[in-house]
Amino acid sequence: MKYDVTLALADRPGQLVKALEPIAKNGGNIISIIHEREKHVEGFVPVSLVVDFPSKANLRKTIEDLKAIDVVIIKSEEVIETTRVTLILIGKMDLKRLIEAKFENTRISGLEVSAPSSKEACIKLDLEVPTDSVEWVLDQLKRVSKEEDVILISSI
Amino acid sequence: MKTIIVGFGFIGRDLVRVINEKRDIITKYDRNFKLVGVSNSKGYIYNEEGLDLEKLLKIKNLSEYGKNYKDNGSSLELIQKSNADLMVEATPTRIQDGEPGLSYIKKALNIGIHVVTSNKGPLVVAFQELSALAKKNNCEFLFEATVAGAVPIFSLVRECLQGDKVKRISGILNGTTNYILSKMYFEETSFELALKEAQERKISEKDPSYDVDGIDAACKLVILANALMDRNAKFEDVERLGIRGITQNAVSLAKKSKFAIKLVGTIDKKLEVAPKLVPINHPLCVHGTLNAVHVETDLANEITIIGYGAGKETVSAVFNDVLTVLKKAKTTA
Repeated sequence: MKYDVTLALADRPGQLVKALEPIAKNGGNIISIIHEREKHVEGFVPVSLVVDFPSKANLRKTIEDLKAIDVVIIKSEEVIETTRVTLILIGKMDLKRLIEAKFENTRISGLEVSAPSSKEACIKLDLEVPTDSVEWVLDQLKRVSKEEDVILISSI
Repeated sequence: MKTIIVGFGFIGRDLVRVINEKRDIITKYDRNFKLVGVSNSKGYIYNEEGLDLEKLLKIKNLSEYGKNYKDNGSSLELIQKSNADLMVEATPTRIQDGEPGLSYIKKALNIGIHVVTSNKGPLVVAFQELSALAKKNNCEFLFEATVAGAVPIFSLVRECLQGDKVKRISGILNGTTNYILSKMYFEETSFELALKEAQERKISEKDPSYDVDGIDAACKLVILANALMDRNAKFEDVERLGIRGITQNAVSLAKKSKFAIKLVGTIDKKLEVAPKLVPINHPLCVHGTLNAVHVETDLANEITIIGYGAGKETVSAVFNDVLTVLKKAKTTA
């Protein structure tokens, strides 16, 4: 599981090494590290890391260990890999139903409507869907479009 | 090898023409190749010394062939009496029960006759049964023409990917719907107009439901799933949506985003035939009456094969299946 972790480190030599130790000790594999020196605030520098931990428990223990050595944690959240899914819906559809569906971590990144008031109304949707949930989200959309008597065309 | 052709329609007749024209290739594998019988629903002609192919090509009805014609003689009777080694079965497809082709193929395999067929019906209805029957009786059972016409998808997997495991297949398996959707894409016509033109050009039947409702593509998907992925799939297992509801608005909207709408058959966890958005730079994005099959395997990863799915090119698949039977018989002799 990948996590996006941002730390505020004192701008002194040796602080980064000190902060990395608990990460390594708890099984974290660092994917990327950015030292955001330009965002330097009152003697602290933000350091953004993407870390692959075996489980969420490993992240929790790392945070505890970092706090114990007085490292300030600005952010720690799971990195969700997303897939862009383009869809076309043919027919009159209540857009509210789509919005109300509220698929977790799914974002509408593009929307285009053609001939909205006619029988041939068409909507193109671009969605950012968590990669693991693409099949589930498509199945749910298929169900909704069937109920609305709308044709759903997904990408291959 | 003594051969009979059951079904003397477009494909059967064209096969006679090709056998006549390419005799030199046939002779390479079998010097004694003879076409001894041809049948249709009205009767059959049979001559154990071999039929005169030039004469056969000139006649419209089998009854015009002369003394070797048996009026009302059934194809089953020809299969039984001909003592043939190979039957090419090219009767019209009926997907409800696979008949009459199913009975002809069963009869032939039961008495040890190799079978080449272009008929989807029997394979959709009874693929496992026919494959088992062929194996039990040491017969070849080849059906390249049943899916995507001249596109040699079964030969490709059988010969060139025999060590690969096929994980997923997707394809444009119906030339008529691809023609209609291509017209809508390039000429911005409505579905109704594109269909009318397809009917005028004889690309689509007067009753277009077999094509536009995805029935034909679903049949092909069942055959692919059973033959290449060892599934026990039936026609009813295919989730199916045709192209009747596709509007010009939808095609244009897709085009603006660099997609074309195509009727795609997919074998993954489930079997599905449905209109899909195909990126215009994807190898499956072929136009006109072309078919394309995209195979994903464990070793080769992705392979796409493109060609004509119906019409005069289909004879290539049937003729090459015949040659495969002759070649294997020569090797094992």
